[in-house]
Amino acid sequence: MSILIDDSTRVIVQGITGRIGSVQTHWMLEYGTRVVGGVTPGKGGTTVEGVPVFDSVLEAVKETGANASVFFVPAAFVLDAFLETIDAGIKLIVVVPEHIPVRDVMKMRSYAVEKGVFALGPTTPGILSPGKGKMGIMPASLFAPGRVGIISRSGTLSYEFAGILSEVNVGQSTVVGMGADPVVLRNLADILELFERDTDTDAVIIVGEVGGEQEEKAAGFISRRMTKPVAAYIAGRQSPQGKRMGHAGAIVRGAAGTVDGKQKELRAAGVEILESPIHVADWARKNNLR
Amino acid sequence: MRLHEYETLDIFEQNRIPVPRRGIAGTTHEALQIAGEIGFPVMLKAQVLAGGRGLAGGVRVALTQDELEDVAEEMLSSDIKGLPVRKVLVCEKAAIEKELYLGITVDGYSGRPVIVVSTEGGMLIEETARNSPEKVASIHIDPSFGYYPYLARSLLRRLGLKEQLIASWSDIIGQLYNIARRYEALIAEINPLVVRPNGGLLAVDAVLEVDDSALSRIRFPLPDRIDRIENPLERRGREIGVTYVDLDGDIGLISSGAGLGMASMDIIGEKMKPANFLETGGGITADLLYKCMELIMMKPDLRAIFINVYGGINPIHEGAKGVVRYIHERNVRIPVVAKALGNRQEETWEIFRSAGVHVVTETATEKAIDKLYELVGRG
Repeated sequence: MSILIDDSTRVIVQGITGRIGSVQTHWMLEYGTRVVGGVTPGKGGTTVEGVPVFDSVLEAVKETGANASVFFVPAAFVLDAFLETIDAGIKLIVVVPEHIPVRDVMKMRSYAVEKGVFALGPTTPGILSPGKGKMGIMPASLFAPGRVGIISRSGTLSYEFAGILSEVNVGQSTVVGMGADPVVLRNLADILELFERDTDTDAVIIVGEVGGEQEEKAAGFISRRMTKPVAAYIAGRQSPQGKRMGHAGAIVRGAAGTVDGKQKELRAAGVEILESPIHVADWARKNNLR
Repeated sequence: MRLHEYETLDIFEQNRIPVPRRGIAGTTHEALQIAGEIGFPVMLKAQVLAGGRGLAGGVRVALTQDELEDVAEEMLSSDIKGLPVRKVLVCEKAAIEKELYLGITVDGYSGRPVIVVSTEGGMLIEETARNSPEKVASIHIDPSFGYYPYLARSLLRRLGLKEQLIASWSDIIGQLYNIARRYEALIAEINPLVVRPNGGLLAVDAVLEVDDSALSRIRFPLPDRIDRIENPLERRGREIGVTYVDLDGDIGLISSGAGLGMASMDIIGEKMKPANFLETGGGITADLLYKCMELIMMKPDLRAIFINVYGGINPIHEGAKGVVRYIHERNVRIPVVAKALGNRQEETWEIFRSAGVHVVTETATEKAIDKLYELVGRG
């Protein structure tokens, strides 16, 4: 197993004819992902990297039996394409693009929840199950098959953690980029739950960062529900605090958001705190992970 | 992007939220003229984009012309939280019966807009929220359902207010929600929302932060975003399309992601001091990294440069070409350490090495920063 993506996932690429879409399709295919089609309105009937392109998501689903979609659509068109994808019956959507207006993300999230769709992003590197397939932009060379799950708010740090583990021969079951925006399509706790249920995952690493309250809320889930070992790294201790104005956020969130606050709550939930990325190798050794 | 208070008050006024009589002054002379039209006493409010302005002396009263001259003079030549005061808002000092709080923001965790109200507005609102939660009420708006006035009325009823105040306050909530929607606000806030002795309401302060990702589709005139960045290096960063934050250390940093950049800063900070935070996002080209090198080298006394990039969406071999071109053209003498992994990494390393860049091929950023430390030593 693994979570979200394996070698039976049938992936379509939206925005496949764009510069980034076509390059990333090449890398996804090279990794062994079953990319069965692409969608760009108006470009139907052509091919990219040997993959057939369709004008609509519905057509792509009918012709290819696709059950997952990865987005390389320009930010301004993501909301429209996302709603179309849900209506076409796709149940897993990975939204790679950055700079999508927050208001659009809130609408996307609300519709995905309503329709029971699992969506990740925006501003995510995607998901990768080593040796099985990937949806997104993760550079394959850093990953190795194994039994550790990684969930990261940052794309580049997900590569860093996977790479450090791979170097000491600790592989990964699935690596999930949850997205770096203030509103993401799925919260951290939902992804932890998938790893908790996955029989091929023995332990989970959370790569968090300063700001928001994903880690604090996940701590509650971990103490109630997680039986597998969890480690966490929180980036941003040295980051200067933004010139914050307005109190509404602070009133809603209370003390949430600081590195110390996140570490404290996670530690109280039984999570091992990694002060620096390199410590993940020792943690894996200590827990006999591979 | 945060708007200034005076800009936000104009937007509020256009949207029928009652605001004080006021004017914006760049000189003491202008401040005197405005006060003459409004009549004393007046409030003087420094226009800087920083929170906690009131507690830092940025909000003062002037009872007479002499007082106003002194205060305006002083304010216009001062810095508040490191930001120069270029303009002062002069406004009527309204009689106050009570101070309320109203804010609308995005709740990241639930992915919904949230409206927050309190009967105890003012500078200490966050403490009130912590210590007297019964004086604060909030409601989340379902994005697919939308906002309706009854939501505001039922929210205010929870604070046990009289119907007359509920009616006037819920009107203002509706208007502010409308502004937040049309300006794609991440924060829209009135603190305090003043109750006057005659029972009328007045928005005495105004905060509006617009979603940068939505700027191109907002149909209302907005000030230029780049103009208002005070730090010239940060302004340059915005111009070339990267996130740059100026810091006071001497180790230059270029990273290809915010998380990696923050982790790099954390690790550098253990033994040295970062000169900046720079994150390219997913748009690396040779030209962009050339410009990034140019930008971080604008800082005098840099001791070394650390480049930490991954080739996922980014063509790092292209980025390396830009760095190398800069090193050759400008004859860079300080050590440059690069960790570059992912697609086309070997090619990237060769390009870096051709200009004497120290390439670290291990994954952990700590290893690269150890190398950096070895090269610059203590200092």
